[in-house]
Amino acid sequence: MFPNFRHTMAWLHTWFGLALGLVLMVVFFFGSLSVFDREIDRWAIPDTRYEPQPMPSFDKMLAPIFKDMQPDAAARAMTAPLADGPLPDRFDTARSWGAYTTHRDPVLALFASYEVPNAKDHETAIWALRTVDPRTGDLLPVDRLKIGSEFFYPLHYSLTLDWKNVGYWIVGFSALMMLMALVTGVIMHRKIFRELFTFRPNKSTQRSMLDLHNLSGVVALPFHFFFAFTGLMIFAYIYFPVTHTQLTPLHDRHEVLESKETGLPHDRAGVAAPIASVDAMVAEAQRRWAAKGMAGDVGFLNLTHVGDANGYVSVYRAGTDRVQLAGEGIHFKASTGELLREDPPPTVVARINEFLTGLHLQHFKHWLLRWLYVLGGLSGAACIATGLFFFVEKRKRQHAKQGVSGARVVDALAVTVVTGMLVATLCMLIANRLLPDAMPAGWPLRGAMEKYLFWGSWLAAGAHAWWRTAAVAEGRLAPAWREQCLAIAVLAVAAPVLNWITTGDHLLRTVATGYWPVAGADLFMLASAALAMLAARKLQQRAARPLAVKNVTLEAGHA
Amino acid sequence: MPDALLLLLALLACVAGMGWFALSMDVHWSQVRGNTPRTAAFAKALRLGGAAALLLSLVLCLTVDSPSIAVLVWFMAVAGATLAIAFTLTWRASILRMLVFWTGPGAR
Amino acid sequence: MTSITLTPRHIASRTAVAIFGGYAFTWGVVALGITLMYSAGLEFHDAEHLSYIIGFLVFLVAFLVAFAAQALRKAALVLVGGGALMSAAAWWVQGLIIGAGA
Repeated sequence: MFPNFRHTMAWLHTWFGLALGLVLMVVFFFGSLSVFDREIDRWAIPDTRYEPQPMPSFDKMLAPIFKDMQPDAAARAMTAPLADGPLPDRFDTARSWGAYTTHRDPVLALFASYEVPNAKDHETAIWALRTVDPRTGDLLPVDRLKIGSEFFYPLHYSLTLDWKNVGYWIVGFSALMMLMALVTGVIMHRKIFRELFTFRPNKSTQRSMLDLHNLSGVVALPFHFFFAFTGLMIFAYIYFPVTHTQLTPLHDRHEVLESKETGLPHDRAGVAAPIASVDAMVAEAQRRWAAKGMAGDVGFLNLTHVGDANGYVSVYRAGTDRVQLAGEGIHFKASTGELLREDPPPTVVARINEFLTGLHLQHFKHWLLRWLYVLGGLSGAACIATGLFFFVEKRKRQHAKQGVSGARVVDALAVTVVTGMLVATLCMLIANRLLPDAMPAGWPLRGAMEKYLFWGSWLAAGAHAWWRTAAVAEGRLAPAWREQCLAIAVLAVAAPVLNWITTGDHLLRTVATGYWPVAGADLFMLASAALAMLAARKLQQRAARPLAVKNVTLEAGHA
Repeated sequence: MPDALLLLLALLACVAGMGWFALSMDVHWSQVRGNTPRTAAFAKALRLGGAAALLLSLVLCLTVDSPSIAVLVWFMAVAGATLAIAFTLTWRASILRMLVFWTGPGAR
Repeated sequence: MTSITLTPRHIASRTAVAIFGGYAFTWGVVALGITLMYSAGLEFHDAEHLSYIIGFLVFLVAFLVAFAAQALRKAALVLVGGGALMSAAAWWVQGLIIGAGA
């Protein structure tokens, strides 16, 4: 685009980095929170603050719940347009029943998929979900939003914009742009090794922001690259649905061949059959793993073609001790319990793929690595944020002279997406403590209220950001930053205090009993409050300083 | 040795390693050691020491966890160590004197 | 000298070529990769995953090339045309595989 290659790369880095950086802030921040999503669930749903349990008895506890489950109103509403005519009242033909447990989650997630008899595409399925206390079999009330795993986590990978997968596409494109920003950043940054440890906070804001941007970007470069890349790998089937469009014939041929080879029937036989003791099958699976020298817990249990003669039960090992996701599945004939197949060791390519996706999805049990992941994710967020700060700093005086408002607009967006996002997160957690257990009639459900309050407070923070960045149009520091930092400090203390008041689980108690999911969340919020206060104080000092007279020029190549 | 201790040692080895790499650069050497001169051979030795420390850290990680996890822990530990050294150089550079404690003023 | 290429229209066309041309080219790489690797004996899902790994790296490079290339038209031709050719080739190989086996 420009005659100079480096110049073009710098232009790309600046402008696409700016545009998609706003989205990537959300992706990185909520991705960092998602490392501890299930712990956040415990904070948000006090009834579930007990220790993780192993998979309970299928025969005694889970089977009755599965038989009783039905899709809820939201699932029905989503599926209705995919059918000819009205949906049946009850869905009786279950394609699959699945139960999933992790070493971090005390509650058990159950899901079932059903055939939709009058669907336009016969492959359409409708899903039902239940959350169960594995100690007793009690169902969790449906309206308890798992703020971590059911909101922050989906926000991270799809912005919770599910209509036609638009959110997935936006995040996917941002991920590709993240890779672009990393490569162009390296191309632009000539002194990448010499300046590896360089941070000069006493120089101009432009210089120190650029130093921090480079530091946070380079220091965790492999992390940033691999997370963006593996994120794309995980949803590759959405971005490039080649085998469900152009290569469908090849895909279908493979499925048929595979089910002949594995002995796992592809379709129902249409003949009803009972289900033998699944507990016995699980015990046999565990015996076989132990015999191979890899004893382990059950991570995932799945029944396919439920209630049919072709039905089979698949038992997968929980992969807590390595990066690769649950593997070594063992499959049994559902009606008799006879062994159908032990999955062979994976191929080299399969191992690579499982390593890549496992690295991102983190099913492993390793607290140090998880916290290092949070460090990496927050470094990424810091890299993006400092990039935005640098952009504004570099241009605001020039724009003020020219009477142009570009820098002001970007600063308002930056406030919204950096401090505003933190405000919204804390407001949601506070709402979680303040809302009544059951909303009064006519009001949206409690979980929906929490989401509305999240988006509403973010919007309010955005409005405040716009109003209080007017100073940038005159080349000065916006008061919005300090004001939102103060708000964060107050909110981040309020949330743990409310946790104490409404549940009695104050820090002395949670730390003493070693209940780290809640203690960790409270401590993290209090630490954030301290940082926010420090930031507010620094910003006040900076605002009191006289305006810098000379315009700092940096090396060419910084667009 | 308990896993936690081994991992702590691995982290410390990373910090020492990255510290030595930093000290092999003139600008950071003078932040820590002021005007004390240092030979090119010493700078090279610092870099070798840095590499050795990082290698030791990797080995320690591998003794604690399966290879797939150990490699990830190590990469992230290096990242964390680099941040720690960068911020220490900025705000409390003199702390890093302990990494070259045997070089007094005017030595070498 | 640089201002000749920085009109909003030029930026829009570069971006379009980078995104859509890059996507078309990547689709071709993935489709052809899957069919060739599968016919060479790789397991189907392995062929898929390996093609995706290569594909995303290709998309990244194609995106950068679309901006770095001096002649935008040539870049567009290579990306879109190349993508179409590879997709067509994949279709043909698929036909051979289906035709050969039952």
